[in-house]
Amino acid sequence: MRTETTPAQADVSELDLVRQCQAGDTEAFDQLVTRYRTRVFAMIYNMVHNEQDAWDLAQDSFVKAWKSIGRFRGKSSFYTWIYRIVMNVTIDWLRKRQVKAGGAEFDDAIQLKEIDPASKTVPKADPLPHQHLERQEIRARIDHAISQLSPEHRAVILMKEIEEMQYHEIAESLGCSIGTVMSRLFYARKKLQNSLRDVYENV
Amino acid sequence: MKTFEEKWTAWLDGQLSGKELAEFEASLPDLEAAEAEKRDALRLGAFLKEQLAAQALSNEEFFSHQLHERIAQEREDRSRDRGTSTWWTIPRLVWSGAAALALFVITTVVLMSQHQPGEQSEYLTQILNSRVDPAANPNATIYIFESKNDNKVTVLWTEGLQSLPADYAAK
Repeated sequence: MRTETTPAQADVSELDLVRQCQAGDTEAFDQLVTRYRTRVFAMIYNMVHNEQDAWDLAQDSFVKAWKSIGRFRGKSSFYTWIYRIVMNVTIDWLRKRQVKAGGAEFDDAIQLKEIDPASKTVPKADPLPHQHLERQEIRARIDHAISQLSPEHRAVILMKEIEEMQYHEIAESLGCSIGTVMSRLFYARKKLQNSLRDVYENV
Repeated sequence: MKTFEEKWTAWLDGQLSGKELAEFEASLPDLEAAEAEKRDALRLGAFLKEQLAAQALSNEEFFSHQLHERIAQEREDRSRDRGTSTWWTIPRLVWSGAAALALFVITTVVLMSQHQPGEQSEYLTQILNSRVDPAANPNATIYIFESKNDNKVTVLWTEGLQSLPADYAAK
């Protein structure tokens, strides 16, 4: 799995860092945060489609992880463990938001985030204006299609397709069975195929 | 037993092999259409990955700094809470509860034992002191039920009495 590590950081095993955190070492926790903050933020952003909310939820998730790191026993990877916290926090937030909205679908007022040109994952050259506009439109279509999925369906499709997680890792992160993950993937894919086919066929 | 959805997903992600794969493909009514559907789903996956993976955290260092502040605050709050509530540990709470209960029971018992029953009525005293003449009433039985609450009730139940003794004067 991808992590944001420098060679020096990679020398320290994740489990060692966790042990240090359990002894109260905030610097060790800082290192774990550095490894996962971008992925955690991106995952949450893809679920909530709002930068500020994603930022706050990522913060909440890491604070929660710090508070409960004493209970981490190393039975799963730290990555799976933190994703479980992230998913609980995010899905809970989405559900509360849905209730507040009187059961209506999630906020469609999508805030499009400018992609950071300094990011390692984007091309160095700035896109041309028409390409930029086109990208925004595509992103808006994708976000809208994802917003039509339930929080659980969003989670599985993003963890599988973007994070490339295995079924069992997704199951652990969501606290459900592998069969449930596969079933949710089936329906999430079908829905997205129906709503985005014209987009991905023409890109 | 896997459902169709589970098998389909496993097939799409290349997780079926051997006999299971052959059986699943044989069960499909139109393998060619299923293969087209599979290609379409894989295309969707690649498209999502390409479009969604580039989301960057705009200010990573500030994110960590803010988190650091929150954790420091959290630790401070926790140590303050610990300072104010150090004495009330769970074992101490249990022992304090048990001691309070024991004290309550002892006090209740002492108070109950000191409680004086209400004075017996004159009528009851007479009944209790009376004697039934065994020669005149060989099978006589007298039961007395008495309630000593504020509303005093005394019930006299006689059985086998032919007549009340002369000194029984009903009040």
